[in-house]
Amino acid sequence: MYGIYLALVRHKDHVLFALSLFLSSFLLLNNSNPQMGIIRGKAAEMVSFVSSPLTWVKSLMFLEEENQLFREKNLALSLQVESMLNLQKENEELLEMLDFKRQTKLLIKPARVVNKGIQPNLLSIIIDGGKEDGIVKNQPVLTPKGVIGKTVEAGESASIVQLITDVNFRLSVRILPSGATGILRRLKIGTAQIREVQKNVEINIGDKVITSGFSDIYPPGLPVGAVSGVYDDRGSFQKVVNVTLPNDMSAFQYVFVIIEKSNEMD
Amino acid sequence: MKWTDYIIPGVFVWLMQLILSDFLAIETVRPDFPVILILYWSVKNGRAVGTVSGFFFGLLVDLSGTATFFGLSPLIYSITGYLGGNLSGSYTRINPFHFSIIWITILAFQFLIFCGVQYQDLWFINWHLFFGKWLGTTLYTLSFVAILQFIVPLHRVA
Repeated sequence: MYGIYLALVRHKDHVLFALSLFLSSFLLLNNSNPQMGIIRGKAAEMVSFVSSPLTWVKSLMFLEEENQLFREKNLALSLQVESMLNLQKENEELLEMLDFKRQTKLLIKPARVVNKGIQPNLLSIIIDGGKEDGIVKNQPVLTPKGVIGKTVEAGESASIVQLITDVNFRLSVRILPSGATGILRRLKIGTAQIREVQKNVEINIGDKVITSGFSDIYPPGLPVGAVSGVYDDRGSFQKVVNVTLPNDMSAFQYVFVIIEKSNEMD
Repeated sequence: MKWTDYIIPGVFVWLMQLILSDFLAIETVRPDFPVILILYWSVKNGRAVGTVSGFFFGLLVDLSGTATFFGLSPLIYSITGYLGGNLSGSYTRINPFHFSIIWITILAFQFLIFCGVQYQDLWFINWHLFFGKWLGTTLYTLSFVAILQFIVPLHRVA
């Protein structure tokens, strides 16, 4: 026994290294453990608390610029609303004629980005909303420009959001007007790629990309981006579509979480 | 060796990473300050201190960050700590050029493991992009280590 102890002491560097490798691997392999989620949720709350003064200063810095932008946007939206009201009326009349009822209800919760993580790559963020606000795991997160990610962990007052920039992020999307569907994954800065798209559909540059609704997380029709390139995958029955993502990942400060969705069609 | 020698710089670097890294981000790539501290600690105090400090700092980083792969930071930081610890007290024994090459290789290796796990999918889709990610992340952090060499050279602590 004493011999083992002496050997451990003599080779403590290697023993410690082996032990830390074992523990790290154990943590890595138990990422989906619910208890791990609770710990990370609590840690996110603590980081949110530490980061809140800086977030406040940051938001003050951008306040004036943002106000100007909102004023311009407000005017543009007011004009748009006017034309949309007319279109809605027309749409309702047409739906009534077709005896078609559709009800889409999204309950949206705004949240502020309090931290963008401390890892060398921006892959996820912490927002100042949690279970207290109705935010739970696997809820869609978006900005006015489009989908930005999903919640992966939720604490009481803070949540972790996996961003669309994470190469491990996948999103089922639909391309309009063709209606083709595929799986979107991020490729490089500002660009994503849709794969598993049928070769015989017609897709043009500038076509809109929205969520397909096949996912359990994302309701249909959320904006994702626009088509920037299409090419045939050689030796395959599929097309590859490049998409421009509208969100600037280094600039956004506020996001919206869809905390409730219902989409009924009769 | 006092505990304050670890706590004060540790908390300082942690806060710096938490607060400053976002301002210093180039697109989605940010500097990794904790790994620089781990490298300095390990070169100064040896493999055991490097490994243990790397593991615990990695845990702190993963808990306070938004790690997609929880446990990856302890893994790569303890590897850096262990490998960096081999350089402890070796500056007088080896060629200064080789000394520099070794710590650059250690940092590049730890980022290779990081990218290998984080961007494992990218490797199969587009390996050019994967290497771009790896090089970008490595060179950005290395540029900060290079600046630090003018203030506190690594060979001075070795």
